[in-house]
Amino acid sequence: MRFKSHLITVLFVFFLLVTVGCTSKTSGAINEGNESSPDTAANTTNESTNEEPAPEGKTEVVFWHSMGGKNGKTLEKMIQDFNGSQEDIHVKPIFQGSYGDSLTKLKTSLQSSSGPTIMQSNFISSGPMIDTKMVRPIQDLIDAEGYDLSQLDQNVLSAYEMDGQLYSMPFNASTLLMYYNKDMFEENGLDPNNPPQTYEELEEAAMKLTGEGKYGASFSVDSYFLEQLFTVQGAELVNNGNGRQDLATKSFINSQEAIDTFTWWKKLVDDGLMLNLGTNTEDTHQAFLSEQVGMTLASTAGLTNMLEGSKGKFELGTAFIPYPEAKTGAGGVSVGGGSLYIMNNKSEAEQQAAWEFIKYVVGAEQQGHWYINSGYFPVNTDAYELPEVVETLAQFPQFETAINQLEVALENNAGSNAGKGPVLGVYPDARTITVEALEKVLNDVQSPKDALDEAAEEITKKIARYNQTVQ
Amino acid sequence: MAKNQNVLKSIPTLTPALNKQRVKPRPFHKRIEQIIGYGFILPTVILLSMFVFYPFLQSVYLSFFMTDPLGNIVGFVGLQNYVDLFTSKEFLGSLKTTFLFAIFTVPTGIFISLLLAVLTHNKLKGMRIFQFIFALPIAMSVGTSSIIWLLLFNPTSGVLNYLLNLVGLESIQWLTDPNWALVSVSMMTIWLSLGLDYIILLAGLQAIPKELYESAKIDGAGSFRIFSKITIPMLSPTIFFVLIISVIQALQAFGQFNILTGGGPMKSTNVFVFSLYQEAFVNFQFGLGSTRAFVLFVIILLFTWIQFKFGEKKVHYQ
Repeated sequence: MRFKSHLITVLFVFFLLVTVGCTSKTSGAINEGNESSPDTAANTTNESTNEEPAPEGKTEVVFWHSMGGKNGKTLEKMIQDFNGSQEDIHVKPIFQGSYGDSLTKLKTSLQSSSGPTIMQSNFISSGPMIDTKMVRPIQDLIDAEGYDLSQLDQNVLSAYEMDGQLYSMPFNASTLLMYYNKDMFEENGLDPNNPPQTYEELEEAAMKLTGEGKYGASFSVDSYFLEQLFTVQGAELVNNGNGRQDLATKSFINSQEAIDTFTWWKKLVDDGLMLNLGTNTEDTHQAFLSEQVGMTLASTAGLTNMLEGSKGKFELGTAFIPYPEAKTGAGGVSVGGGSLYIMNNKSEAEQQAAWEFIKYVVGAEQQGHWYINSGYFPVNTDAYELPEVVETLAQFPQFETAINQLEVALENNAGSNAGKGPVLGVYPDARTITVEALEKVLNDVQSPKDALDEAAEEITKKIARYNQTVQ
Repeated sequence: MAKNQNVLKSIPTLTPALNKQRVKPRPFHKRIEQIIGYGFILPTVILLSMFVFYPFLQSVYLSFFMTDPLGNIVGFVGLQNYVDLFTSKEFLGSLKTTFLFAIFTVPTGIFISLLLAVLTHNKLKGMRIFQFIFALPIAMSVGTSSIIWLLLFNPTSGVLNYLLNLVGLESIQWLTDPNWALVSVSMMTIWLSLGLDYIILLAGLQAIPKELYESAKIDGAGSFRIFSKITIPMLSPTIFFVLIISVIQALQAFGQFNILTGGGPMKSTNVFVFSLYQEAFVNFQFGLGSTRAFVLFVIILLFTWIQFKFGEKKVHYQ
């Protein structure tokens, strides 16, 4: 009997170890737009460690963020530095999972005062965030203090400017990039320093890369990627100036640009040039890093993770995201990433403390540090002149692609609303519907046009219902 | 039927029968006893009211309203939410998916756990280790199990595809192929529910008196005959109980879908509670969400009633 109970204990401990070993796999939330990245869920336990209470007499500022993996660690380090430099402010970071999860938690917390003072939210949630009417516009604080905005990136600011004011402070700016395997390009007779730019070129390159169990590309079926592929062709996603002149009332998801993109995507999959791994972006990145596929899509925010993952295996290249040749110069990527909101249901003292922290993290030095440790490009242009940034750029030219891409975008967009990105209240809904439309196309259920027409109709219906409830 | 009426008669009625004479005031000590009795159930009543009845009534109330992004009521819409629901393709699809999921998981789960329980219900040396292993999934949360299975299902580096490739079969896109996704989640769910089903069934087996088996053996019955004529009838109340909780669990499944598939691909795993969650806590349409919750309640009630009505007749109570 004794022996048995020992055995059971041993078995149990062994089992626990296995379980823990399985779940503590760390991986960063490389992807901006993905709302259901399961690995971020696994990271939760690792991230919310900074739980010590605020020291006596300090104003505590609760900060909800969505930076998992390596980016999360960098952010927590920045917060620690800030806390160390402050006499009477203590910022307490809490990792709340993906942007989508975090927004859900925020909404449920707003009825009570249990929510954060600073909320990090992604660009596409601007509509829902502002519509909560619980946001203290950053513009108030900027105006009251005469804070100088000229040091900040004007491209980024223009994306976040809505109704002529800044509701939130951009903090982590990103764009979508195409990552490619330079070694694989070279082996297959492609120029590793001249990645494909158009849909047509990408298809040709994929043809050469495919074979022997390898695929040209693997793009995750992700709404953020699709939105960017449409935007880069100059297409708006909703009416009323992409939702920037007035509340959007109609979805433009069934534009010709979208139909072309779906058709191209499907052809790549059908011809066996693209490995379709569904909606899990992590899986596509894993396939890319294990050299099963030559190209993949990911946010600039994943750059440091990608560099680490490819180290010693192959040389990593970064490129602009592709567009149809006929649409050359028609548009450019819009700014993704996140911004920081101050919630108005907290005391004035806390809001002011939050403002101090925000000013700190958008400072040149902090943004430079953030840039080379995450891949998000700096919202403060002075950061580029810092020696550590100059050094990193020389060593890893991959960092530059994102900035160049945004520069081109700014030229092509020239103040168009498409390039600034949409403002839409029902974005979680719209994203689910968009993804489903592409899934239907890839699974031969519907033609691209039918799927997108149906999606547009469905999103428009959701918008109508939403507008009824916010007016 | 006659038996049923006897049962009914034996239940004390709460409404005073009219033909009886006026109820005499009860003696004092009886009243004290009554008060103490209520005192004992009071904590449960309070807890249930707070966490079950109040939210339930609130959601029935909400199902007639429209809410803003924060969940505040904007306006009364009458039965519009219900009309919207029953004319929505998405809802009807999710009903179908949920029932398919129940059909995939419940019978298979009960069959496997019954088999395991019968196989391990003996005094052979080392059997306790097997009992321990088969009961283990009960200690696993849905979240943890889902993460483990996510790794197993991984299309490029998962163990399942590795094993398939090893025997020369092609990789399966477990969670991203609409034809496979529901099957994959069902597999995981069967494993997950195995622990509880197994423990209950094993306990049921152990409660069957040994004498029955002994006398059957003396009479020369074979092991299959013993199983079908003694084990199954004697175990039927336990199986019936497992059936009911399994069906309810299957209809309410959520965690594994949220983590493994997010309702996709192409809504092929968009089960009832997931679509409820999506509507209420992602899209913040609490009205529509509550409507779904109430409809789900009615469906589960109906199912349980049907099972009692038709299933219980087959059950042998000692």
